[in-house]
Amino acid sequence: MKISLNWLQDYVKLDAPVDEITRAITFLGFEVEQVIRTGAPQLTNVVVGEILTRAKHPNADKLSVCTVDIGPAGGVKTIVCGANNCDAGNRVLVALPGAILPGNFEIKQSKIRGQLSDGMMCSPDEIGMGREHSGLLILTHKPALGLPMNEALPPGDVVFDIEITPNRPDCLSHLGIARELSAWFKLPLIYPQENFHGTFASGAGERPDLLAGVRVDSPEDCPLYSAHVITGIKIGPSPAWMQERLKAVGLRPINNVVDVGNYVMLETGQPLHAFDARKLGGHQIIVRRALDGEKITSLDGKERALHSGMLVIADASRPVVIAGIMGGENSGVSDDTTDLVLECACFKRQSVRSTSRALGLQSDSSYRYERGVDPHSSLEAAYRAIDLIIETAGGSVVGPAYQVGGEVPWKREIVVTHGFIGEKLGFEIPEADMRAAFEALELAVTREEPSDHRGTAWTVEIPSWRDDLDRPIDLVEEVLRLFGTEKIPAAVVSSPGLPGDDDPVVQFNRRVTDYLVGHDFHECVNLTLRPAAEVATWTSQTAAAELALQNPFVEDQSHLRPTLITGLLESLKLNQSRGVTVSRLCETGRIFIERNGQNLECAAVGFVIADPIGERSWRGREPADFYSVKHHVEALAVAAGVQLAARFVKPVEESYLGWQVGHAASAGELEQGWTARFGLLNLAMVKSVGVEGKVYAGLFAILPENLAAVSGRRRYADFSLFPAALRDFALVVDLAVPAAGVQKVVENAARTEVGKSFAVESVNVFDVYHGKGLPEGKKSLAFSLVFRSSERTLTDDEVNAVCTKIRQAITADGSIALRA
Amino acid sequence: MQDQLSAVLAKATAELPTLKTRPEFEAAKARYVGPHGELTAFMKQMGAVPKEQRPALGKLINEAKVKLQAQLDAALAQIAAGELAAQLGPAVDVTLPSPDIGPGTRHPLTLVREEMCRILRKVGFTVADGPEVETEYYCFDALNTPSDHPARDAQDTFYFPTAARFGNVSRMNPGEKYLLRTHTSSVQIRTMLKGPPPIRIVSPGRVYRRDTTDATHSANFHQLECLYVDRNVTVRDLKALLDYVFAALLGSDTKTRFRPHYFGYTEPSFEVDLTAKHLPKVKKEWIEIGGCGMVDPTVFEAVGYDPEVWSGYAFGMGLERLAMLLYGIDDIRYFYQNDLRFLKQFA
Repeated sequence: MKISLNWLQDYVKLDAPVDEITRAITFLGFEVEQVIRTGAPQLTNVVVGEILTRAKHPNADKLSVCTVDIGPAGGVKTIVCGANNCDAGNRVLVALPGAILPGNFEIKQSKIRGQLSDGMMCSPDEIGMGREHSGLLILTHKPALGLPMNEALPPGDVVFDIEITPNRPDCLSHLGIARELSAWFKLPLIYPQENFHGTFASGAGERPDLLAGVRVDSPEDCPLYSAHVITGIKIGPSPAWMQERLKAVGLRPINNVVDVGNYVMLETGQPLHAFDARKLGGHQIIVRRALDGEKITSLDGKERALHSGMLVIADASRPVVIAGIMGGENSGVSDDTTDLVLECACFKRQSVRSTSRALGLQSDSSYRYERGVDPHSSLEAAYRAIDLIIETAGGSVVGPAYQVGGEVPWKREIVVTHGFIGEKLGFEIPEADMRAAFEALELAVTREEPSDHRGTAWTVEIPSWRDDLDRPIDLVEEVLRLFGTEKIPAAVVSSPGLPGDDDPVVQFNRRVTDYLVGHDFHECVNLTLRPAAEVATWTSQTAAAELALQNPFVEDQSHLRPTLITGLLESLKLNQSRGVTVSRLCETGRIFIERNGQNLECAAVGFVIADPIGERSWRGREPADFYSVKHHVEALAVAAGVQLAARFVKPVEESYLGWQVGHAASAGELEQGWTARFGLLNLAMVKSVGVEGKVYAGLFAILPENLAAVSGRRRYADFSLFPAALRDFALVVDLAVPAAGVQKVVENAARTEVGKSFAVESVNVFDVYHGKGLPEGKKSLAFSLVFRSSERTLTDDEVNAVCTKIRQAITADGSIALRA
Repeated sequence: MQDQLSAVLAKATAELPTLKTRPEFEAAKARYVGPHGELTAFMKQMGAVPKEQRPALGKLINEAKVKLQAQLDAALAQIAAGELAAQLGPAVDVTLPSPDIGPGTRHPLTLVREEMCRILRKVGFTVADGPEVETEYYCFDALNTPSDHPARDAQDTFYFPTAARFGNVSRMNPGEKYLLRTHTSSVQIRTMLKGPPPIRIVSPGRVYRRDTTDATHSANFHQLECLYVDRNVTVRDLKALLDYVFAALLGSDTKTRFRPHYFGYTEPSFEVDLTAKHLPKVKKEWIEIGGCGMVDPTVFEAVGYDPEVWSGYAFGMGLERLAMLLYGIDDIRYFYQNDLRFLKQFA
């Protein structure tokens, strides 16, 4: 909110420089977003003068030579001027030699095109009053000749634009900020003195023809409602001083009554509302919930539909105010108003907030009610407003006033010890300083006594406007604020050791990122929220529905991402479209996979390898293929403690959207705690998202809780130092038979036939062939078997004997043949 | 005899250096010193030589043998060198660029996050993690956020439909609504609920706000928060931590200051400003970098810690903001576009 320094001076006589005041506000806990200076800066040697004569400069077409009377002390000066409006008779500001104008521009006696000039007549921008440069500032109010500039111009002001934290509604007013500054600068706080003090009645007032009754039907939403009747007022403009202040803080003056309402709100923080008494139907005020479908046209001219959750002030037949937020067009003060009803009330924060949100309607009033208005000082504001209305609009109060609610007295005390505050702060502040801090903030210390082991105990009385102070810890902050948070003494960071390790997900991300970056991938960060259509094409319509947000902010960020691949594709596209050669990208992060109607949040790592479009190299390298990405996915799985054994790996089916059937694989299902997909991305899909060329990709996802379980330490297995015996098997099978199945058969046969006499160390495919020399529809798979004993060197005879048996076993069922 | 020996040696001297391959060498070697070699033949003649001449002759033969062996060794060394040289192609142009792509790069947010975590690990913080989909309890209730607080509004926070179910995100209360966490403080709550103090964690992670994206705002950004809970933790300790962290990050001439502020989950609360030399593109003297404070007793009560016994501090900041300060980046959107010309600048 905006706070005027001139206005503050009414309540606290600040003599500190503006920078000091800004610093004080900052370290009291209110961020100063802007300091705006209005009016002229303080300048010396700039005085009022009157132009006596104007003649054309003999040597310059656009210049004039003027004689200027600057009063008895200065006499008449000759001044060369370039402005068009330096006509005789005008009173202007004259900067005399010695004056230093904004921009550090020093005025000297000088010769301009051969003509001596004794100073300069000033345009507004030259004296720091705005940007107007087209002509001299003409002083139409004719101040005395020779008068220093700052006495001739209206005094300026300094306006602080301050962010008030939500716990301090009491500071949404000049008085509140003045209270804080008075505590900081140790200056007395001067309260405005009210002349009027009301009397109240709950029955009919003296003038039922103006206001016959006030009823609150919804007391839970309105703990206090008061209404004063003022008769015989005359609407007109408010006084200049009031208008000046309102304008300084950004309000537009309307008329004396409305301006007083705003003025008192900005002074005290209590919103007020004035009705034209004539316009209250049935001379009734009823505070009630709106009826569903009821309508009101608010002061901003918009018709607003209300519902039963909203509180209104109504007359006998219709709502006249949206309570605490904005008045209606139908009941406000107009130029011919003579009798007022002045509302001063408190509304429940939640009620005002929800109505304001629902209507999308905010006002200075609703802003304050939402944050909390102190019902115990409300009436003071009403009295203050009545004083000012009578002062500016005349009239008199018809008493007694109406009051409903407001009976609950305020009383709150906090007991806090010197020791407690010191324990929380970690450094010493003398007792006297703490007590002084409380008192400076109007937190009266009603008792001071020794406590057990914790120094002096103070009983601190909390004023009603400081509802934010409720516990001893809250007073620690008050003491620290006034001590100054800049003065917290330095210390060495203490770190008594705590056992613990980084979260498994963090370690996993680190490991896989290290791996991929080490393999020339560029790590990306993409947004978690993706467009609906993309998620649907990547998973399924039903899964997409589960991943949808209830309230997306923008249309293309409506769903949780089920994969990291789509984001990486988007990054590929962006680089390609910008002509940047791109191939390997990776990302780690959360993805969300739908299973059986519920979503699972997974830790995931994904990568893409795209054709490096546009890359030209003096020496070619072999491009990536399915087996390159399989290799990387296996390595990523190991980082999660998962062995991507061949038995898990299956070719993708049509239902795995996004992947190219026949060129991609899947492994694992989330039911087992992890899942992987890798291979070639669907060519049509890649094309449709606008990425050029082929893209191989890999994704590994695991439930975070499964990562946590990865902690087993491997056992060392002894190995043999005797030589190995190697044998190759060339086998012929149907083209479509997967290698892993054949390998399994070979492994099983080998293990069975070797038995316990020695060991089959490994079985590996080392050649795959189909074509010439083999029947149609067949392929040859060549396996290398390694045998070894832990006790002796194997003989050729024993190995050959076993291999013969293995061959028989492999070929027994006829699906596998030996290659001739 | 002596002349004959000299002739054999001369022949070897002429022949051996011309040998190119090992088989040639082996054949030549056999011709001189093999069982039927020329030099061997001399030694066989020794028996026929008169006894008194034997020592002189033996000496001559030996000398010849030593000389021949030296020539053989030299020839073999030459052949071996030739074999190695044959493995090389022509000399390379060391100034040509490697045709291999790379090196890979870490994202600047990862770099900054990992650096902060390293700094914090040194003073005993471990890195904690938690779900990005959260519930109202962990994100708001346990953090002393009133039920009508504006931050909880559907205007500011992303919610999921009431029917949405997240199988591995636990709810405190049945029927609680799921949402996208607005801060990583929910990790603090989950960590505290898991076990008793002392606790010293740092939780970096993604957070979500319903916010218009522009040069300084993103609906999806990253935070890093610290939490320390122990006996007798003080405001001064908190200040000491931040002084340490930013001096470690930005150099010993870095200063931090606290300004009183308000957060629901800490009391007292502060905003943290820092000033450091050598920060690119910074015009102001003090730059706001994060928020912090002493953990509010209400938060301790929510997780079942006795606020009379335990005290603690919390600190939080935006990672993008920090990265922007460190590197002089002026548009937050660059972090999520992944233009390689951006990504390659930081590794």
